[in-house]
Formats: sequence, C-alpha cells, structure tokens
Amino acid sequence: MKRSSLGNSTVQELMAVFLARQLRDGDHLQVGVALPVPEAAVRLAHIMHGPNMELIFLGARMNVHQLERLPLPEFGWDNRVARWAESYSDRGHRFDQVKDWHRRVFFIGGVQVDQFGNTNLIGTGDDHQRLDFRGPGSVGTSTLTTHVGRYYIVLNNHTPRLLVEKCDFISAFGWGEGGADARERLGIPGGGPQLCITPLCVMDFADETKRMRLISVHPGVTVNEVKDATGFALDISDTLTITEIPSAEELTILRERVDPEGSLRN
Amino acid sequence: MERKSVLATEDEAVDWIKNGMTIALGEPAPMSMVRHVIRNRITGLTVVGSGIALDYMIAGGCVSKVISYYAGGGFGIPVAPSFRHGAQTGDIEVWECEEGVVTSGLEAAAKGLPFLPWRGGIGTSIPEVNKDIRIMEDPINGETLLAVPAIQVDVALLHASKADVYGNVQHQGGPGWLDLFLRRAAKKTVVQIEKIISNEEVRANPWATTISNADAVIRATYGAHPFYSRGYYVQDKNHLKQYLEAASLAVNGERTYIEEYFNRYIYGARNHLAYLEEVGVTRLLSLYEY
Repeated sequence: MKRSSLGNSTVQELMAVFLARQLRDGDHLQVGVALPVPEAAVRLAHIMHGPNMELIFLGARMNVHQLERLPLPEFGWDNRVARWAESYSDRGHRFDQVKDWHRRVFFIGGVQVDQFGNTNLIGTGDDHQRLDFRGPGSVGTSTLTTHVGRYYIVLNNHTPRLLVEKCDFISAFGWGEGGADARERLGIPGGGPQLCITPLCVMDFADETKRMRLISVHPGVTVNEVKDATGFALDISDTLTITEIPSAEELTILRERVDPEGSLRN
Repeated sequence: MERKSVLATEDEAVDWIKNGMTIALGEPAPMSMVRHVIRNRITGLTVVGSGIALDYMIAGGCVSKVISYYAGGGFGIPVAPSFRHGAQTGDIEVWECEEGVVTSGLEAAAKGLPFLPWRGGIGTSIPEVNKDIRIMEDPINGETLLAVPAIQVDVALLHASKADVYGNVQHQGGPGWLDLFLRRAAKKTVVQIEKIISNEEVRANPWATTISNADAVIRATYGAHPFYSRGYYVQDKNHLKQYLEAASLAVNGERTYIEEYFNRYIYGARNHLAYLEEVGVTRLLSLYEY
C-alpha cells in the first residue's frame, strides 16, 4: 500500500490508532500474545484518554498512565512484567470472577473468522483428529468472549481463506448464525464482537442480522479490493467512509512513547 | 522415628511415571523432569500441557494424547511444530479444550466430582469435537452449560523456587499459571526447585507456602531452562529458537538437527547437571533477571 495515502503512517499504525479511539476510559483491556496492533492500541489509548484504564497482559494487571514511555516488554511468560504490575492473577485463580468481566475488553485473531464474527483457533479441515492445518488451540478465548463486555477482532491479513463464510470449527462464539439475540438465546452474557479490523478495512456487525458489514476502507483501498479479499458476500454500510488517518499528535505519541522500537513500522 | 524427607532424585521421581499414564506439566515448565521422561523413553503418555514444553515431549516420542488449551510456538512460529504435525497426521489425539474448560475439569478431579459445569465454550465446536464434554441443562435454572468431566492426573510435574525437604513449597512471585489446579487434581505431585531451604525458613513465613505435602522435591537449579524461573532467570531465547528450528525441520522430514539436539542435550546428558554442563556456565549466567 502506498504510504502517502496513509499520511506518514503504516497500515498497522493506522489500525492501532483507529482501535485506540474505540477504547474508553475505565475499560479493563486484556491483551493476549502475538497481537501487536492491540498491544500498541491499548497503550496509546491509556496515554491519550485513559487514565483509569487497566491494561492486563496475561496475568499482569497494570495502570501505567503516569509513565512517559509505556513499556513493551516481551510479555510471553516473562517475569519482568511484574515491574509494572499492581497485581498478578495466576496464583491458582483462573477465571474465577467472570461475573465482573463486563468492564473487560478483549482482542482476538484467528485461523478463520466467519461472517458472523465467530472465530477459529482450532484449525482447518474436515476431520478434527487429522486436520489440514492444526491451529494453536483456543487459549482462553471461549471463556473470555463469553463474558467480556465487548471485544474486537483484529487481523494481520485480509484474505478469502481467513475471512470465510463458515468456520470449519468455532473456538469463540461471536454472533453464531446471526441475529441480534444470537448470544442471548444461548445464555451467553458478554456483549460480543463489535468490529473486525483488518489491513484493508473496518467492518461492524449490522444491528439486526449481526452480519459483518463494511463501514470504512483504509485510504487507498477500494471496495472491490475488499470484496475480492473476503470469502463471503460482504454487506456495505450506507454510511461507508474512509478510515480516518492518525493525527500528527496520535502518530507522535505512538512512535515516541508507545512503539519507539517500530514494531508496527516493519 | 524421624520425619520423612521427600527429597528425591530425578530417577526416583521418573519411576512413578509409567507408559500410558496421564501427566501434567506446570508453568514455569518443569524441564529437567521433562528431559528425564524423554531420556527414559517413556511412551503413550497423555499430557496436560501447553506450548513448547509440550512440544518437547511430543518430539521425544512420549505422547499419544494431549489435553492442551494452547500450543503456540513463538519467535514467528505460530503453532508448536511437533504438536501441529502430530495433530495433522493423527499420530497425536487432541482432547480439544480451552483454558476455562480445562480448569473446570481439573477442579472436578480435585473435588472428587464427576464433572463441573462451565459456560465458556457454549456455542463453540469444543463439545462437538470432544465427546467427553457434554452439553447439559442445569437443574436449578435450566440454563445450557457444558459439563466438563474430571481430568484425572497421575503425576503433576511442577517447577518452583524453593522447598524444604518435607515438601513445603514456596513460590517466588506466586505459583505459575495452572500449577495449583494441577497440584490439586493430581494423584502425585513432583516439584523440582531452584533451591532447598530449611524447615525453619519455611516456618518463618508459613503464609508463603503455596504447596504443602508435595510428594517429591527434586533439586533442579536452572531446572526450567530454556524457559524462565521467576526471580532467577529469564527464558533463553537462542536456545528455544534452536529447538524450534530443529523441530520444524524434523516434521518436514529433515531429522538431522533434532537428532543432534536430543543427542546432545537429552540422551547424551545423563541427568540435569550434565545438561547444565552442556549448556554452559556462560550462557546460564547470561540469563540474569534484568
């Protein structure tokens, strides 16, 4: 993609800034592993408008709003994260207070994502015991997506193999087979997926059908490109727009205080 | 009569693990015991575990079934290679689950219950592809829930910072991810530790004791290497990458590097101390906390 059409930012930076704007002060933001865009987005939001946000990286829960430069340690199972944490949740207590997760916001990727925001980390193929591609497994996503107040699907690619009509397996239930009451019917309390953010565009879930709907294309991307890269017939919003590029302030803070290593610029 | 010490050698502890048993791996990874299980060529195990530690056991030929909620690789490899290959060829049976599901099954075992209900996983494929997990109607409110059967564990292998010889374990920075679930569910718990402490030191701060009555305590300074141990060392990225690259090549038919790796670090090193000598003091001391 031409960099000039995005201002000076890369598409990952654009995604991170867009996502940061969706986050509200007071949110408890839980980020898993291997999600560079959400990792940057929660830090940016925390600096810019979230002094009462909590960042939860694996077990470590922190509020680091006062820091000049927000840490990006290698969170994968690394004790050093304790330097910033106010508490650590894995003292034999996993998932034992899900009733209070309505304040939590979660971010999820997948091997497949379908038109109703169901996601698949199990793998692809017909035979579960002999998969064509074995994914890493569900981690805690089935439980998190069941209970968190809302969550965002964030993808590093946008291809017809990733965005499919129907997942081969579902590891996290989004809007099932569609309909505003899809979750309520199954007694699933959390607010469900809100948006799907990809390197090409942003999609929401239409109010009544809960089918994925194109709401903005990133600068320089055409609707046809998005359609071609999507494995299901994509609805288009009446108010389709172009994703707003990062402001100079957002980009400066992102680069100087959140991502000085440039992990979103490579 | 004297109070019985549970201090044991790797050989004594590995004797408890028989072909076909169910074992569980804690987090930080109990790697000195993992290597000893591989070294002793124990086979047909069902392993409750995750990540690269689980992958070592699969690459070592010990595993026929996994109970795993996550087997990511890291360092740009999204899925642990031996796990991925085993699941794709059908060599490894995968008991599909998820973190909330697996903790429910472990708690059911600990509490002596046939199952515990759980909501996370409703609407997913998990109860379709794992027939042991049933969908139930709760008898109180009629809600739809998963019934997760008790996950019975024969031996849990854990890594911790300190213990006395009577099996009083004290974790620095708290016990790891699922460790207390595994300990509560398991019939026997083996804890390998960085450092033996006196019983007086335990009694000076009994609130810090996280596991009591561990069935065996194994001396294993640097025993979680190449993974981290809280308060002692960070993960050895170069070593892990070396393993992951070798394991990735092996599942693509090039077995030279994994064989070299296993011959050098596992089969060729007769015990944990020999392993540490092979890794070398320079590398080990470079894994300082900060």
